[in-house]
Amino acid sequence: MEEQEIIAKVRKCVATALGRDEDEVQLESVLSRDLEAESIDYLDITFQLEREFGISIQKDELFPQKIFQDENYVKDGVVTEQGLAYLEEKLPFADLESFKADPKVSKVPELFTVQLLVNFVQSKVAA
Amino acid sequence: MRYVLVDRFLELSAGERARAVKCVTRGEPFLRDLPFFPSPLVLEALLQTGGALTRVSAGGAAMSVLGKVNRASFPGRARPGDRIDLEVTVALSRPEGTLCEGTATVDGTTIARAEFMIVLLPPELTPEPDPARDEQRRLLADALGVSQAIQENRA
Repeated sequence: MEEQEIIAKVRKCVATALGRDEDEVQLESVLSRDLEAESIDYLDITFQLEREFGISIQKDELFPQKIFQDENYVKDGVVTEQGLAYLEEKLPFADLESFKADPKVSKVPELFTVQLLVNFVQSKVAA
Repeated sequence: MRYVLVDRFLELSAGERARAVKCVTRGEPFLRDLPFFPSPLVLEALLQTGGALTRVSAGGAAMSVLGKVNRASFPGRARPGDRIDLEVTVALSRPEGTLCEGTATVDGTTIARAEFMIVLLPPELTPEPDPARDEQRRLLADALGVSQAIQENRA
């Protein structure tokens, strides 16, 4: 599948899940901050991607919740080395370099951009 | 549950489909000021059908709650004396819940369509046991045949 086709379909999925116009869904859009995605919307996005691309997404594969729940991964509001290793393992398609400069757990949601979803889908359809 | 809007399940096929009926009567409090059954309650009947289907599909271990109504339309109405046929299918299923598609019809005419998500509550969000409330829920699940469907799915 061509990259442009994936991008168009991912934007459509996000727009559908979040009740947005596709024009509002840009590659650099942060799901939570820019598109006001709430927790239930992440599950909806997962459903939409599975349906649109015919892929199967395991629990925590795309949106790993454990980073918020495991005390080994976060200390005093900052993601630990162990937590960073977990994120690198779970999100090889995320831009973690800039996050590492200020790894506050409150900034984890900002990793989830439309571009991240595109990267994720590309890795799934290529597999 | 204060408003039980499913009278009877006709089918509860785990992971696939549920069919149920809701009969509208003149004496219902919803019809005190309206000549027709309120459409949002037809949607609620579909959600309750989807909730039972999701719970049965998950083996009954978790409580199911509405996550989100993705879209809903109401091309028709039900009036006293009508039997609303409710059909919900599982479009997609995940450990967290299901994406359902539901249709409500009266005499073969569609009065509501909806796509919605039913979420299975994780243990940390499940309410503490309450004997009176839990017994009431169990009796309702037994009466509607949900308990039996869960047992059959586990077997």
